[in-house]
This record gives sequence, structure tokens and C-alpha cells, in this order.
Amino acid sequence: SLLNVMTSKTSLLKVILLGDGGVGKSSIMNRYVTNKFDAHLFHTIGVEFLNKDLEVDGHQVTLQIWDTAGQERFRSLRTPFYRGSDCCLLTFSVDDNQSFLNLGNWKKEFIYYADVKEPEKFPFVVLGNKVDVTERQVSTEEAQQWCQENGDYPYYETSAKDATNVAVAFEEAVRRVLAMDERTDHLIPTDTVKLHRKPRSAATCCS
Amino acid sequence: IVSSYSFVFQVIFEHEGVFIHPSSDDDGIDPDLLISGSLRLVDKDSSSVVEWAHSPGERVLETQHSYETEWDMINAVSFRKRPCSNGHERSRWAFSFSLRELRSVTVKQEGWSFLIFKLKDSSSCLPALHFHQGGSTEFLDAVRRYALLSESVDDASCLVVSTPNRALSQSFENLLDDNNYSLVNKLKKDPYVTTLGGFSKVTNYLFDALRGTEEHTQRPPEEMADLLGEVIPGLDINQQEEPGFEVITRIDLGPRPAVSRREPVSVEEWTKHQDPEGRVQRVPQLKEAIFKGGLCHAVRKEAWKFLLGYFPWNSTVEERKALQRSKTDEYFRMKLQWKSVSEEQERRNSRLRDYRSLIEKDVNRTDRTNRFYEGIDNPGLVLLNDILMTYCMYDFDLGYVQGMSDLLSPILYVMENEVDAFWCFAFYMDQMHQNFEEQMQGMKTQLVQLGSLLRLLDLAFWNYLESQDSGFLYFCFRWLLIRFKRELSFQDVLRLWEVMWTELPCENFHLLVCCAILDSEKQKIMEENYGFNEILKHINELSMKLDIEEILHKAEGICLQIKSCKDLPRSVSSILGFTSDPRDPRDPRDPHRASQRADTCSNGHGHLTEAPALVS
Repeated sequence: SLLNVMTSKTSLLKVILLGDGGVGKSSIMNRYVTNKFDAHLFHTIGVEFLNKDLEVDGHQVTLQIWDTAGQERFRSLRTPFYRGSDCCLLTFSVDDNQSFLNLGNWKKEFIYYADVKEPEKFPFVVLGNKVDVTERQVSTEEAQQWCQENGDYPYYETSAKDATNVAVAFEEAVRRVLAMDERTDHLIPTDTVKLHRKPRSAATCCS
Repeated sequence: IVSSYSFVFQVIFEHEGVFIHPSSDDDGIDPDLLISGSLRLVDKDSSSVVEWAHSPGERVLETQHSYETEWDMINAVSFRKRPCSNGHERSRWAFSFSLRELRSVTVKQEGWSFLIFKLKDSSSCLPALHFHQGGSTEFLDAVRRYALLSESVDDASCLVVSTPNRALSQSFENLLDDNNYSLVNKLKKDPYVTTLGGFSKVTNYLFDALRGTEEHTQRPPEEMADLLGEVIPGLDINQQEEPGFEVITRIDLGPRPAVSRREPVSVEEWTKHQDPEGRVQRVPQLKEAIFKGGLCHAVRKEAWKFLLGYFPWNSTVEERKALQRSKTDEYFRMKLQWKSVSEEQERRNSRLRDYRSLIEKDVNRTDRTNRFYEGIDNPGLVLLNDILMTYCMYDFDLGYVQGMSDLLSPILYVMENEVDAFWCFAFYMDQMHQNFEEQMQGMKTQLVQLGSLLRLLDLAFWNYLESQDSGFLYFCFRWLLIRFKRELSFQDVLRLWEVMWTELPCENFHLLVCCAILDSEKQKIMEENYGFNEILKHINELSMKLDIEEILHKAEGICLQIKSCKDLPRSVSSILGFTSDPRDPRDPRDPHRASQRADTCSNGHGHLTEAPALVS
């Protein structure tokens, strides 16, 4: 039956974390996948990824979370990995106004290199990390306003340190991707194959 | 002697200073007796003969400054001059045999190389030849021109000899000749690697069949001839088929020599290399010792300053004190520059602000488990920060790029001094500068060079990587950017770096370190059929699981293996800085070889091309 197919197949979703150096991309990933936090974790050199299995609204999903080096200099290294992303988590740190101001640049860079066909429909999720820090430079209102003006993106204030909203944000990312697919599915209702994301070979994401 | 034989003998190879140690073969002989002689491989009546004869009046090693004399101490072997050398003595030890009589050669290492010959007629026993003055690799290369040497199945150091008949072997030689061989190797490259992968199996098979150097056993000559007949016509067709060829040369490298390493250079040994004024003496030998064993930790603080170029080797203690005084002034002048920038100024200086902000973040996450940097308000952190900020003033165009804190941290740990650490770091950055520049040209160049080396070392593995879109070697990015800093334990990083700073045994040795690590992983990668992502993940996860001594052994072995290869592509010899061999009649500058060089730059898929700046 249809329900059987829906629950038995595992979709592989590629999610990429982008944002300035030091906003906490690796810490968010590690908190989510290993539920650990290390304030002195090395800054990322190159690119890394971790997998995490989860279930969202009855869908079995393997999230492949890609973490990149945030410094502008490493652009040519990280951009090849954008292709094939299903979702992009634009990340800034609430105690660093510059990282918030750069969100627009990160979005532009992603759309350009990921070769997104319909940028206005692509699922971005915005994360304001380090809410545990007391000296904020970016208010919740400012961040929400930016999200609203830039495509009505969901916004989460997270703390990798105390695990605030981290899992919630990733689950929302998955929902957005699945919702995108559903919408595509309705356009071609006769094609049952298209009802579900096919499990994809891990090798196809960067070809 | 050579000239008197020249009508009947063609001397293929000749090397003086090849020793026999008679005591190990004979009882009742002075155990320290070493007899020096000359070794020849001569061509005589269509037969290749190995001859060894004692050289009269040969100087012994005591007076020479080859690095073997350094080994001398370590291995407690003494070389003694043998004053008398009469005719009887000469003929007593001399021996010769035809390659056809030879069953196997065993290659051993004891600080020097020695070869043990076994003849097919097991009743005769030959003394081992000790190459105290080098030359064993060259000798084996010469032998390979007349015989097939293949590693024994149960002992890699034992090379089993087989001598195909002369005519057939000559036809192989022609086939493997550069020009002819290029026909065999015109392979269509992109974009469908499947073709290439499948085809390379043929060339590998062909090569293994012909030269028998890999794990396959030797094929009988008849089978080889059939094989040639089958394969070559197909190759001709392939060659003319389509544009976009690439010359891929599958070069036979021969066996990888075993190498020995030694214990680190001690304080005592280091001190012995200084004259009364403090100038460092016999620098090549000292560097060789550091290359072979690294440094004791107590020596590092001083020795690294020389290795990195901060202290000139020939400077006296007084000169170095003066140098340090002026460098201290220079450092604090630059430090004052950023220290005295007001908040107002910084608000109008976005680059300085960005550097400061990122340095602060990265210092807080650099080696924080190391006792030198652990805990809150550790003074080590302040030093890291201040040196990196001062480096921004020293080279504002480059400024701070992520990865630089990784390069500084071990240096500061060793120097325990802000000024010395800064200057050593600045000299290290001279080597690494290109890695961090805006266009990352250094990274691109190194990845291309590494590709050339991997292709030479194992074409099948290289083809596999390309078939998985991994030919650009992204997974080596972190290794190269910060010289394995994140891959090894802190102590092993210190060891690797000082070894690399000797600039021995070739240029770009760090690329051979990459090759050595990949050599240990390639089997798993291919057997598990890892794709692009899995390769990246697998390599990332090797971090902190690597054994530095094993890697250094292997990397040096690979260096010797490549060095002994006669038909090395020019691109590879220039990467490793091997000068062309003047005895080689095939001019390495000929156009055919030049085209190979061009092709080495065409690998990868251009991923790391200039990316327009979208992030300001």
C-alpha cells in the first residue's frame, strides 16, 4: 500500500550549514548528531559531514549534514559541495552583528553555486546561535524581520551549548524539504514513483 | 682493467666501494675485516655477468664523510683499513656469475643496503655484497635491464630472477621504450572514466606480465608474446578513435626499498656538531640524522630556529645574540602598531577588525586540550593571539587566514618565547604562504602535483579516484593546508615537521607523505567501493589514528622507489626536484615528455577554479 511505501523507504536529505567563521556551525552539527558540546572544538578546516537518522511525520530520513569552513578565503573549496543540497541552514551568532549582516551574502553564494533552479522556493532555515550568551548584538525582532523580508524563512534561536532548539531546527528543515516534494508530487499525481524521494546514492551529490 | 677488456666486455654498470664481510661467511677470519671492491655488470658474449673483485689500495670509509660514517657510530660497526692487498688476496675473494645462473637476490638494510645472491646451483655460496657507499638501487636497475626481478610471494625483500631469452626481452624493451610505449598509453580520458578504468586494467595486466614486478607471478615467455599480439592492435585503433586523448604513462617503478630510521638526535649529538664559536658543522650529515630520526625534545628549541631559517647555520653564538636583539626590536615595533590602534581607528578599519575577531575566535579553539593552551586565561592563549595579530602587521595583505593558528601553536609550544616563536612562524609561513593566499594557488598546485604522483604510483587507484569524482583530491585539503597538523597527535606533528624541514630526501616530501598514507588506505577504499562522500569521510576520520614512524618509513621508501626509476616523467622529477640523469640518452627535454608535463595539469575537474566573490 501507499502508506507502506512511505514508511519503509528512507530518504537521504543533504543539509548544509553556512555562516561566518565562529558562529558555531560545527557545534550545532555535533550537538545534533552526537548530543555533545565542546567549547574548544577545533575550527573546521576543509569540509566535513555527519549522518543522522530521524523520523519526521512518519517519514524515515537520513540527514547528511555538511559543515564547512566559514572564512571567506575558503570559498573555492566549499562551494563545490553546495550542489545537491536539499536545504540550507543559514547560521549567524546573536552576539556577532557582522555575522548577521553577512546572511544575505551567504544566501547569494549558496544560490549561485548550488545552482538552485527556483531560488524563491528553496527551503532555507535561519539559525541565530549562541542565545546562551548574555551580550547580544542582534535582537530577535531584527532577525525575524530579516527572515520575513527575505523569503519568509523559519527562524530559530539556538544554543549548541545548552541544546536549545537544535533538534527542532533540523526537524523543521526536514519538514520544509518534504513539503517541497509533496508540492511537486501534486503536480504529477499519476506518477507514483515521484510520490516519494527516492533513496539516493551518496555519491551523486557532488558530481 | 676496464679498457683491456673493452673489446669483449661491455660494462653496463660499475660501482666502487662495494664491500664483502668475509667473517660472516668464513670462520677463523678477523670479524672486523671488511674488504672493499668494485662491482660490475658486464655484457659478454650475449650473456650478462656480475663480477666483484677486490680493489687494491682502496681507501676505506674512515676518512670519508658520507652519512654512512654517521651510521657507523650508531650501528657500532667499525670500518678498518686493510693495508695489504696482494694478488693472492684479490683472487681469493673475487667472484663472478652469469645472471642466468642466478636464482634470487635478497635486499637487506642495516643502515646501508646489502644484497645476498642465491644461485640456481645451490652448492655454491656467494658472499653478501655490502653497499657502504650506495649504489645498490642502481645496480638492481642495471640488472633489471637483463632479467626480470619479481618480489617473492613470501618475502618481499627477496627478488626472484628470471631471464627471458634475449630476443624476446629486446622486443619488450622496444615496446616499453618511451616513444613506442606512448602508443600503448594513449587513452581517452574524459569524461567517462569507465572506459579509462577498464582500459587501465589492460595496461596494468600488460605491464605486470612484462615486468613481473607486482604481486603476479612471472608468465612464461610464450604467453607474453601471445599477450602482446592480442593487445597491441586494439590499442592502435583506440589511439585514433577520438580527440581528447591523454597520455597516461604506466611506469614500472620496481620494488619499494625498505628503509631504516634511527633514534632522535640527542643533545650530545647536536652539541658535537657545533664548533667553539657555535657554528654548526657538517650540516648535511646533521640534517640527514634529523631526517632519519627527528630531534629529542630538548634540542628542538634551538634546532628549529636553524631548520626554519631564523638562525643561519654558519652563524656564531655572538652573531645569533645580535640577531635576536634586532629581531626583538623589530617584533615589538610591529606589535605596538596594532596595540596602539584606538577603537575609533578600528571602527574604520574593517580588515583589521575582521582579522582581530577571527583570531580571537580561533585562538580559543586551537589545541585547547594541550596543557600549554588549556584552561581559561592560559597565558599561552594570549601569546598565540598576540603573535597572530603581529603577523597581520608583518604581512597585512595576507592577514589572518584560518589554519595559521594551527601552524603557530606547535612552534610557540616548542619556543616558549614570543619573539622567537614569531620569527620561526614567519619563516614557516614563507614556505606555506601560497596555501593561504586569496586564490589558494599553493593548494591548487599541490593537489595537481599530488595527482601526478598518485597516478605514477598506482594508476589503478588513481583511476578509481577519478571514477568517483575524487580526482581533485579534496579529501587531502586539510592535510596539505596545515601539513597534517590535525591528522597526528601533537608530539607526532613536532616529529613530522622537523623531518620535513630538513628538505630531505627530495623536494615536496610532504606530498610523498600523502602518498604513503593513501597507500595504506587505497585497498580499503577500493574494496569497499567507497564513493565521493565515503572517501572524504574515511580520510577525515583517519585523524589521530595514524602512526608517524610507519608513514615516514613508507614515504621515504616511495621516494627511493621513484628516484630509482629511469623513465620518470619529467613532471614527476620536477615535482620532487630530481635532476635529470646525464647518462640517460633519452633527453628528458624532448617534446614528447614536455607534453606529458602539460597533461599533468589537466587532471581534476576544475572545481577549484576562481569563484567570484559573492561574500564581501
